[in-house]
Amino acid sequence: MRRSAIIVGCSVALSATLTSCSAPAATDATDTGKASKSGYLTASDASFKGTGPLTVQLDYDSVEAGGLDPQTAATARSWSIESLVYEPLVTVDPKFGIEPLLASSWKQPDATTYVFTLRKGVTFSNGRALTTADVVGSLQRLLKSKAAYAAQLGPVKSVTATGPTEVTVQLAKAYTPFLAALANTPAAILPMKEIDDGSLDLTKEMLGTGPFVVKNHKQDQYWNFTRNTAYRDTKKVRVDDLKIEIVPQEAARLAALRNGSAAVVNFNNIDSMDQLTGTRNAKVVSQANSDFYYLIQNSKNPDSPLADEKVRFALNSALNRTEIASVALGGQAQPTGVTPSVLPGACDPAKLPAATVKTPDAAALKKAGTLRLAVYTSEPAVGQIAQVIQQQLAKAGVTVKIQKYDDTTYGAKVFGAKPDFDLAVGWFAGYVDASMVSRWWNPVLAGFSGTFLNDDKTLDALIDKAAGEPDGATRTKTLADLCARVDTAAQMLPLVTRPSVIGYRTDQVSPTLRTAEGYGNFLRDITSYTLPAGK
Amino acid sequence: MRAAAVRVRRALAMRSYDGLFRAAVWVLGVLLLVTLAGPFVGVGGQPDAIVGPRLMPPGAGWPLGTDNLGRSLLPRLLQGIGTTLLLSCLAVACTALISTALGVIAGYRGGRTAEVILRIGDVLYSFPAIVLAVLVAAVLGPGRTAALAAIVLVTVPLMTRMVGTAARAVARREFVTAARISGVRAPTIMLRHILPNVAGTVAVQGTYALSVGILVEGGLSFLGYGVQLPDASLGLLIQEGGLYMVGAPWLIVAPGVVLVAAIMAINLVGDSLRDRFEPRETRSLV
Amino acid sequence: MDHIRWLLGRTAAALLTLLGVSVLIFAAVRAMPGSYTDLVLGPLATRSEKAAAAARFGLDRPVVEQYLYWLRNAVQGDFGTSLAARTPVATEFGDRLPVTVTLTALALALTVLIGIPLGVYTGTREGGGRGGAAGRLVSAFGMSLPEFVLGSLVVFLFTRYSLGLSVGTYVPWSQDPLGSVGSLFLPACVLAVFCVAATARTTRDAVLGVLVEPHIAAAVARGEPKGAIVRHHVLRNAAVPVLTLVATLTAYLLGGTVIIERLFNVPGLGSYLVDGLDRRDYAVVQAGVLLAAAVFITMNLLVDLVSGLVDPRIGTVGKRADA
Repeated sequence: MRRSAIIVGCSVALSATLTSCSAPAATDATDTGKASKSGYLTASDASFKGTGPLTVQLDYDSVEAGGLDPQTAATARSWSIESLVYEPLVTVDPKFGIEPLLASSWKQPDATTYVFTLRKGVTFSNGRALTTADVVGSLQRLLKSKAAYAAQLGPVKSVTATGPTEVTVQLAKAYTPFLAALANTPAAILPMKEIDDGSLDLTKEMLGTGPFVVKNHKQDQYWNFTRNTAYRDTKKVRVDDLKIEIVPQEAARLAALRNGSAAVVNFNNIDSMDQLTGTRNAKVVSQANSDFYYLIQNSKNPDSPLADEKVRFALNSALNRTEIASVALGGQAQPTGVTPSVLPGACDPAKLPAATVKTPDAAALKKAGTLRLAVYTSEPAVGQIAQVIQQQLAKAGVTVKIQKYDDTTYGAKVFGAKPDFDLAVGWFAGYVDASMVSRWWNPVLAGFSGTFLNDDKTLDALIDKAAGEPDGATRTKTLADLCARVDTAAQMLPLVTRPSVIGYRTDQVSPTLRTAEGYGNFLRDITSYTLPAGK
Repeated sequence: MRAAAVRVRRALAMRSYDGLFRAAVWVLGVLLLVTLAGPFVGVGGQPDAIVGPRLMPPGAGWPLGTDNLGRSLLPRLLQGIGTTLLLSCLAVACTALISTALGVIAGYRGGRTAEVILRIGDVLYSFPAIVLAVLVAAVLGPGRTAALAAIVLVTVPLMTRMVGTAARAVARREFVTAARISGVRAPTIMLRHILPNVAGTVAVQGTYALSVGILVEGGLSFLGYGVQLPDASLGLLIQEGGLYMVGAPWLIVAPGVVLVAAIMAINLVGDSLRDRFEPRETRSLV
Repeated sequence: MDHIRWLLGRTAAALLTLLGVSVLIFAAVRAMPGSYTDLVLGPLATRSEKAAAAARFGLDRPVVEQYLYWLRNAVQGDFGTSLAARTPVATEFGDRLPVTVTLTALALALTVLIGIPLGVYTGTREGGGRGGAAGRLVSAFGMSLPEFVLGSLVVFLFTRYSLGLSVGTYVPWSQDPLGSVGSLFLPACVLAVFCVAATARTTRDAVLGVLVEPHIAAAVARGEPKGAIVRHHVLRNAAVPVLTLVATLTAYLLGGTVIIERLFNVPGLGSYLVDGLDRRDYAVVQAGVLLAAAVFITMNLLVDLVSGLVDPRIGTVGKRADA
């Protein structure tokens, strides 16, 4: 049950706002104020010279309809596990900029053309060198697939090899998040030769260029990885055996961190930071994240009062996001508009139309009647947010009945062919470009949201404009307009960012952890973790 | 001489036993009072009102501490006791009704009717109880109705079987045969002659079913299929408290103690009833 | 001849019950709202993606057809493939069954080693008085500790303080047999508390019941030593209800470790079954419930067989049904 953010999510990530990192971390909390300037919560201690095994415990495993195929992977849990094996052309830096990975460099001769030069000396773990055919084939395969992520790549017209180590991508029109979208696991470069000749079943095996190879995997129990000896920087990787254990019970992960049977664990409840009081050698940090919780107001049902924008907006203005962040999430989250507030260029949630309304429209609130609010069980925070919303709306005279479902039922009720809900709380991955997640607000582009979301032409135009404009003051203005329009239409309302917590043993590992993540990959810098000598 | 000794010993056993029985009844009485009076008196305030900072230890304003949303635990605990007890009692009442009817019919008629009833009971009975409960809760949608239905389905098979066995024994007795021969109609026989004679079994099994009901509700809450938010039940409070065990142990201790006390009291009452209705001779080697 | 007919009848009834279980679980798990595709494909999946996935797993076929197909395979030992793990359910059972069996065996060992002597001791020493009440109170307490309360407490104590045993880390048998037993010791203890209390009580009641029989009085009158009386007469005669209970507890434990496995992160059948329920991984749930039911029915059949041999009039057997 706990593995289920899947349902709601496109991503999992560990996060929390930096400002509140001081949080009740009763253990030796990190000096985040200083670290955040560098973009890191903590950097690996270079004086640690050891190599050896590392045990990581996670709350749930990657479960995908497409098996281990990274292109169809829809959750951040899959992205982070698969990123140990697969690498994309580019990657994300700590400030959400884009930096080279399998491409050593790229040029953008005009707004719609990207020319990538492949890194030299890259091989797959079977020893075969990376070719332009792998790059072209992988991207074309993704674009042709039915995978949801293909839409994030934008209007790609063609992908062609234009030299022995050069690949050119042509877009139909300018699309600013293109590189950001390329920087995630579903856009990873796959061994196309082995896929095409049938020697590799992507759904069951992983074969990539990354730092690790899979020794074995038992669904919902463990993963065993070992260093990829063909990896270009394999000598620098200190973790030679990586064991990922799936431990759904939060208390069991706490115990493992306490007694040192795991070196790194993730927590699904923000208050778990308090639960390590008095533990030696254990440290807990919260990583900010672009993921955010949302409230859907189902506007597609013509008999519902929520079909009326006035009612929806009045309900929106009765919400207090700051209180949601402080009460439901213990102050570890921050309010956000549709542009995730941790990303550069994001709009200011305090300036949104509903936030500036002094007294909500009483007449409209009266029409709301009694509303059902659907939540799911696997994540305590969702139920807590729902209860705070219930109280806030009760103050405004609106009765909310919470309906807590198991994750699969929730998925069917909210995202099924025939939605059966008035309000629903869930969360989205925020990605790494401020405009990316807003695509889900256009039901035509998103596909999945058309059952409860009315198409709003004004909003669609803004989403389109935000995606096309180059970074700068004009785009920041467009993003602010986009946030405002989402807030006014109030169909799918961003609430607060989604915090989460990572714990580690200082006597077993010195990790590198970023202040903020966009793709939920808290193991992103695992190749630079250092281990104490003699381990 | 020996018979007299046995009688004395049994009397002694019953007396000390009655002490336990009385204590158990007292515990249940207090819990029941809390259940009924709680909402009217409003002890400790509104169960869902946010009264202070999150996860505070017991103190002024929140006698049992606050929970993860800053709500006082005391009124939530009272509400939880009420929810759990009412739910279980109601469910067991339903179980008793269904099981008595089916058991008496099966016991009286015997033959194919009994076979069909007991076979269906066996099918339900063979399911792991918690799986059956989760299935019911998921199909009906989590909440009080689902918890109630789950408890009924889990407890009906055993009770039906026990009542059936007891009814079978009664049905073989002479006064029933006599009534049948003299032309009394079957429903009358079942109501007048069989029912009063299985009432003891129903009472004993009912108390056991009650403790099973509380366990089922707790198990459902533990697995996320319990009552709806923001309602509290003992199982839900324990499940939520479990997440905060290290930092805020009061959240699990209070509901845990109440739950164990309730189940124990019910079991003790059940034991006493069993001894009343199915007395046995005891003797010691010493 | 009568015995054989009785046995055949009982076996036929057991098979019929099992068939009933298979139909009911097949229908019930499909009556749960949502399906595997709703969970695994997530909200971002399009309708055509969901339809394609459903077709791949055969979920779009008529239910009766699905059932008959499944039943035909199940009879031949093929319980289908887990949607989530993409492995045959039977293989997964092969890996997980030993874990649950070890856990059950440990709990049963504790039950028999502690519960029966305790019951005999209190039974032979007690005819009433204060000791009886104390015994009752303790056994009632043991039987009133729900697993999720006691288990949470144990997890807390062993998480908060270093008490030698770790929680949440399962060591496979193949890796370290001793460590494996050690890693299952705590959950087994939690499971055993109820069983010990129940066994002690049943044993005590049985012993008390035997003690009033005339032949015991005769033995006492003959001046046989107390220990010999207990060994030769009391235990032999009290064995049936105790064995019945132990068999019932075995069945209960094998099907009832769900919560303990969740709580202590034990990769056994119980956690597999509940994961399957949550994900609507139909094949897993069907096979898991069928196995639990089969164990339960077999145990009851054995119990009936044993008590039927001793006393042909006996029919029914008690069982604990709880969370």
